[in-house]
Amino acid sequence: MLAYAARRLAVSVALVWVVASLVFLVIHLIPGDPAELLLSQGGIAPDPAAVEELRERLGLNQPLWTQYVAYMGGLLKGDFGLSLQDEHPIADEIALRLPRTLELVGMAGAISVAFGVPLGMVAALRAGGPLDRALSAWASFALSVPVFVVGTLAILVLAQELRLVSAGGYVPFARDPVRHVALLLVPAGTIAFGLGAVVFRVMRSSVLEVLEREHVRAAQARGVSPAAIIRRHVVRNALTPVVTVVALHLGTLLGGTVLVEFVFNWPGLSGYLVRAVEARDYPEVMGIVLVISSLFVLLNFVVDMLYAVIDPRVRHG
Amino acid sequence: MGPSASRRAVLAGAAASAMLPFLRVPGARAATPGMLTFGLSSFPPSIQPWANTGTAAATVKLMIYRGLTSYAPDGSLRGELADSWDRVGATGWEFRLRDARFQNGEKVTSADVKWTIEQIAGERSTAYFRAEMQGVERVETPDDRTVRIIMKNPVATLPVWMASYHLPIISRNSPRGSFVGAGPFMLKAQERGVSLELEPFSGFHRAGLPKLKGIRAVAYADENLRVAALRSGDVDLIEYVPWQAMDAIAADQSLKLDTVDGAFMFLVFNGSRPPFNDARVRRAVAHAIKRDELVRAAFFGRGSPLMQLPIAESSPFYNPEYREGWKYDPDLSKRLLAEAGHANGLSCSLLSTAQYGMHKDTAEVVQQHLAAVGIRAELNLPDWATRVAIGNRGQYEMAVMGTAADSNDPDGIANFVDGSLAPSYVRSYGLKIDRITELLAAGRAEFDQAKRRDIYRQMEGVAIEQAPMVGLTWRSQGYAMRRQVTGFRNLPGALTFYSGLTFETTDVA
Repeated sequence: MLAYAARRLAVSVALVWVVASLVFLVIHLIPGDPAELLLSQGGIAPDPAAVEELRERLGLNQPLWTQYVAYMGGLLKGDFGLSLQDEHPIADEIALRLPRTLELVGMAGAISVAFGVPLGMVAALRAGGPLDRALSAWASFALSVPVFVVGTLAILVLAQELRLVSAGGYVPFARDPVRHVALLLVPAGTIAFGLGAVVFRVMRSSVLEVLEREHVRAAQARGVSPAAIIRRHVVRNALTPVVTVVALHLGTLLGGTVLVEFVFNWPGLSGYLVRAVEARDYPEVMGIVLVISSLFVLLNFVVDMLYAVIDPRVRHG
Repeated sequence: MGPSASRRAVLAGAAASAMLPFLRVPGARAATPGMLTFGLSSFPPSIQPWANTGTAAATVKLMIYRGLTSYAPDGSLRGELADSWDRVGATGWEFRLRDARFQNGEKVTSADVKWTIEQIAGERSTAYFRAEMQGVERVETPDDRTVRIIMKNPVATLPVWMASYHLPIISRNSPRGSFVGAGPFMLKAQERGVSLELEPFSGFHRAGLPKLKGIRAVAYADENLRVAALRSGDVDLIEYVPWQAMDAIAADQSLKLDTVDGAFMFLVFNGSRPPFNDARVRRAVAHAIKRDELVRAAFFGRGSPLMQLPIAESSPFYNPEYREGWKYDPDLSKRLLAEAGHANGLSCSLLSTAQYGMHKDTAEVVQQHLAAVGIRAELNLPDWATRVAIGNRGQYEMAVMGTAADSNDPDGIANFVDGSLAPSYVRSYGLKIDRITELLAAGRAEFDQAKRRDIYRQMEGVAIEQAPMVGLTWRSQGYAMRRQVTGFRNLPGALTFYSGLTFETTDVA
């Protein structure tokens, strides 16, 4: 088991290095000069000497390989570097924003499971009935509506027309816990609108599949009450694929909440990444992508370890 | 199967969902008397006083810093840290400072002005006015309240430069890495990328100002969310009102809309190679565009046609004889193309950006109008950073641009028509028209207003014939606010981005 874990760990570290190197190359290959951009905002021409001066100060006039070695050296020391825009430490900014995105994604996952699982079960238990058809139609609708449409409608109705919630924004939990949660619920609910439909569909088909299994039929034949069958034999078995699907989606959402963060002015990691790309802030882009990809790699590593624990054939394969 | 468990789950889920809308957000409303919540269009990348880091940063800089001169709400030049100024000799200006203080409590002195100019002109400076301040021969400080700026050449526009939000006076005793200004508000706290908190500076040199107890500037990058935040009461005032929302805001009894035609859209060309190195082809483009349609399609009717150089009608330098200098005339356009050897039309690329709707929409409308006279333009719509890089390198044939002039003085448009300046995405590439450069230099060195007017009239005449840029539309630049906000004013013409000056007189009930 130790040898297997060591092999997987080595592969994970190599993957992170490959990702870091690819991101470094790609961001430097696309057109756009951060020094030029920083000094030419507002559509006004910057002094070329000032641009050159800034390039020198930021180290952008160095050969690419020199910048690469310096960047990798910094990473080995756990240093993500400073933002090209205002020399703010990137690690501090990521440490500030990552929990916000995790919180948004986590809350969205919780809401999705909270209504997707029970509704999926109800639909499966009444498969073919009017409730099932209505819920399935809703799921199709929810899956087909883009997240920014849901978000914009939520703002229009809840904030502009009914004036029940803020149109977006963020307040730290420590400053005002109630408002923090209230501001979190609408964007999380927006993500959950589509994600909940996915959970609903997986749960429904999973329950239908479990209901057909022999051990359920045997329990029914033994005269076990329907409620007990659902509780003991159906729910647990049906939840396994739901957990897998939710975990996969949440992983994708780590870097994919851009639209929701934008629409609701939620200052998380995705929006930070988009702004960093727009400004060609190379160290910021590399730092954020590295953190997101490392989380993915870590998630994969944990899953690999879990598979090995559950099924010993994996570690010998 | 028994449905009991399912029913409970459905009921619980329904009850939870029904509760969501009733979670009223405490403190979500902006209505706190004296405290203004301002919806910025983006978070300033930096508020370094002398760098150009965009208009959102400029607005914040106007809260914190002040220059020797500035603008009154009607757009006229007024004294700020200087209360008067006069010419000295052939190339100098003398400014007499008022009794003003920096936010660290120290007096604003002539030594601070000298130090500021030295920092801007310095070897390692990245200041926007670096080149201009390198034109300073020396700065004399005969006493604490008098400063003489002697230029290498006569510069009639120096007092206008001194009003720029990129040229504030900073205390020479500022701690290293920070900048102490003399504006009406002090930066109290900020969360990077999210918001800035400002508090009033009690030692501000205008008695009784500022009126506000504080400003919270929150960045709303999404223009629709910015409007939603205003309409839901989250913010008191927003900048960069999107054109599509202006009618609804104007009709809302609880809100006020303040717009001016200050910024403008235009076309630039690659003059280093055919076909746009030929003035006839550039003029053919100028006469092919139906600007009324452009204003309707790209700016929802919120703007006006621009058929000459972008000098505002309210300016004493406005030339009514060129009002229709580049008017829509497809027959003339085709004739000019034929004269230039393109009787069967031509194909070219049209650079713009998909990142900003106004740039993209303008490019799409222009493309259609050009097609009608036989110019087949293929759109290139990269992101803004790429568009800037391509523009600076001249890797395009024709491009859409949008911005505002540096000031309401005609010298403020030199950036867009003077091909002798270094290559830049804001002006045509490789298109140097000597006569325009000469006239701009003459206008800058001339102190007699009547003679200046004549020089710029000649310059516009040359520009209409040579088309170093082609004006398309003025576009409305708007601020919107709750009725309870008073004292805030959108400054006229090119000064719209200086409206942040009026935060000193702004109040909110």
